[in-house]
Amino acid sequence: MNILVFTKRVPATQEEELRLISDGKDVDFSKLPFKVNDWDNYAVEEAVKIVEKGGGAVTAVSIGSAESDEVLRRAIAMGAKDGFLVEVDQALHDPFARSALIRNFIQKEGTPFDVIFTGVQSEDDQFASVGGILAALLKLPYVSMVIGIDSVEKDHMIVRRELEGGLQERVRVATPCVVSIQSGINEPRYVSIMGIRKASKVERKSFKGTDYDAGKDAHIELVQWTYPPKKGGAQMLTGELGDVCAKLMEILKEKGVYQ
Amino acid sequence: MSYALIVAEVRRGIFEERNLDSIGICAQLGKETAMLLPEGQYSFNEKMVDSIVKVKAGEEVFLNPLNMAAIIGKIAETRGKPDFIVFTHSSSGTEAAAYTAGIFGFPVITDVSGYDKERGVFRKSYYSDKLFGEFKTIGESAAVLTVRSGSFKEFAAEKSAAPNEVSVEDVPVSDSRTFVEYVEEEKTDIDITKADFLLSVGRGVGNKDEIPAYEELAGIMKAVISGSRPVIDKMWLPKARQVGTSGKTVKPKVYLAMGISGAFQHIAGMKDADCIIAINKDAEAPIFQYAHFGVVADMHKVRDALKGILKG
Ligand SMILES: Cc1cc2nc3c(=O)[nH]c(=O)nc-3n(C[C@H](O)[C@H](O)[C@H](O)COP(=O)(O)OP(=O)(O)OC[C@H]3O[C@@H](n4cnc5c(N)ncnc54)[C@H](O)[C@@H]3O)c2cc1C
Ligand SMILES: Nc1ncnc2c1ncn2[C@@H]1O[C@H](COP(=O)(O)O)[C@@H](O)[C@H]1O
Repeated sequence: MNILVFTKRVPATQEEELRLISDGKDVDFSKLPFKVNDWDNYAVEEAVKIVEKGGGAVTAVSIGSAESDEVLRRAIAMGAKDGFLVEVDQALHDPFARSALIRNFIQKEGTPFDVIFTGVQSEDDQFASVGGILAALLKLPYVSMVIGIDSVEKDHMIVRRELEGGLQERVRVATPCVVSIQSGINEPRYVSIMGIRKASKVERKSFKGTDYDAGKDAHIELVQWTYPPKKGGAQMLTGELGDVCAKLMEILKEKGVYQ
Repeated sequence: MSYALIVAEVRRGIFEERNLDSIGICAQLGKETAMLLPEGQYSFNEKMVDSIVKVKAGEEVFLNPLNMAAIIGKIAETRGKPDFIVFTHSSSGTEAAAYTAGIFGFPVITDVSGYDKERGVFRKSYYSDKLFGEFKTIGESAAVLTVRSGSFKEFAAEKSAAPNEVSVEDVPVSDSRTFVEYVEEEKTDIDITKADFLLSVGRGVGNKDEIPAYEELAGIMKAVISGSRPVIDKMWLPKARQVGTSGKTVKPKVYLAMGISGAFQHIAGMKDADCIIAINKDAEAPIFQYAHFGVVADMHKVRDALKGILKG
C-alpha cells in the first residue's frame, strides 16, 4: 500500500510567551523553537507501521517554508521512502486554501497513493479540517479521529474513530480514502540525531507552491490576532517555595481533602 | 429565506447538550434556525428553534459525513441555500463540517468560541488558547462553523411559537464508508470521577521516570492520580486516568493540575471542580484563567517541597 502522509512544522509554543506585533496582524515567532506537529508524528508512525507489515511505501509531504525540510528528514528517519516539500512563502491560514493547494499538487504531479494520512489537527491552526476538505475535493471517503486501524484489506480498511468520553465507533471505509490520525494510536519511534543525519542523504523533492494556485483563493480572512479573553483568573500564590507549599497545604485542609 | 441550518448531534439516542451552543450562536447571528435531526424521539426544548427537519435515517447514517453532505444538498434544493451551517466542535461535528465545506466550496471556521456582532468576526483558538484569531468569511456563500461547547449556550432561548416540522426522505446512503459498531472503553477498577482529590499531571512532567514520584506524593496526600491526554497517549498513565473531552469528566473537591497548559479539551473535563489549583512554570498558561489558585513554579520543585513538608 502506498501512503501519502502530511506533516507540518509548527512553533513549539507550550512553554513560551507569545507576543503579538504589528497591531495584532502578526505573531512574533523569531525566538520560538520549531518542531513537528504532534499529531503528524503519530500519522507518520502509523503509515510506516502499515508499510513495514504489508509492503508499499510512505511519502511524506509538507507545505511550508524551506525549513519544513526538517520534518521531512524526520519522517524519512522514521521510515518514509521520500519527502516532498511544497514551498510557500506565507503561511496559509485558511484550511480550504491549504487543501486546494494539496489537491492541485497531488493531481498535477500524479502522485500515486492508496491512502492519505493527515494528523487530526495542527497545533498552531487547530482547524482539524485539512483532511476533510481534501477528501471532498478529491471525491474520496473520509474518516477522522482514527485511534485504531483494525485491518487493512485490498479495497478497504476497518478503523476505529474516537468519539467523546472514551466511546469509539468502528467504521469500514473503502480505499482510496483520506484518514486523520489521532494522537495515542501508537508509540511513535524515537528518532536520533544520527538517524536524521542519515535521512539527509535521501533526496527530498521540492516544488514551488505558486505552481498549484488554481482555485485556492482563501474563503476566510484573518482580521487580527488577539490575546485570550481574561476570565476570572487565579489568585496567585507567591513567595518562597516553602511558604507557597505551606499555603497549598492549608487550602487542601480547608477544602477538607487533607487532614 | 435567510436561515441557519443547525446539524444536531445525537449519540445513542441522546440529544447532546452542546447543541445548545449551536442554537446560541444562531441567536447571536440573528438567524432563523432549522435544526436537522435523525429519526427518533429526543428530549430537548424544541421551542428553541424555528423549524425541525427530521431526516429519515438512524444516527449512524446521519452522522456519517458523506451522507450528511448529501442531506444538506437535498435541503438546499428545497429550502434554498442556508447562510450558515452550524455543527458542534466534536469528533463527528468537525468531521462532517470540514467534509461539507469541501463538497460545496464553502468557507469553514472551526472551534468558534466568540462572535463580535458589530465587527462580524468569529473568534477561534490558536496554540491551545494562548492566542485567538479573528476571522471574517469572504464572499457570499454559506459559511460552515463548528462551535466550541460552552461558548454560546447562554444565548439559546425559547421562540414565541412552536417549531414547524418537516421531514427529509430518500436519504442517499454512501457505501464507501459505513458504520460497523460502537466500541466501549474497557472497565477498570479505578474510577477517577469518584475521587474527591485529584492530582493531575500534564506533559510538563517531562518523562516517564518522573511519574512514580508523583504517585508517591499522591499516596501521601491521599489523592488519586490522573493526567492530561499527552501523558496517557505516551502510556505514562493508563487511559482510565485521562481527564478531558475524550477521557473522563471529573468534579472533585480539589483538582491539583501540575504541568497542564489548559487546552479546552482538558478544561472541559475539570472546570466544574470546586477548587482548581494550577502549578505551571509559564505565567501565561491558559489554565490560570480557570484556576482558583495558581503557582508559577517548576512542578518538580513543588512536588519535592510538598513531600518534604508532609514527611515532616
Ligand atoms: C479531539 C481531541 C480530543 C482531545 N481530548 C483531550 C482530553 O480528553 N484530555 C486532554 O487533556 N487533552 C485532550 N486533547 C489534547 C489537548 O488539545 C491538548 O493538546 C492537551 O490537553 C495538552 O496537554 P498538556 O497541558 O499536558 O500539555 P501541553 O499543552 O504541552 O502543556 C504542558 C504545560 O506544562 C508546563 N510545564 C512544562 N514543564 C514544566 C515544569 N517543569 N513545571 C511546571 N510546568 C511545566 C508548560 O508551561 C505547559 O503549560 C484533545 C485534543 C483533540 C484534538
Ligand atoms: N502546511 C501543512 N503541511 C503539511 N501538512 C499539513 C499542513 N497543514 C495541515 N496539514 C495536515 O492537516 C492536518 C490537519 O490540519 P488543520 O486542518 O490545519 O488542523 C495536520 O495534522 C497535517 O497532517
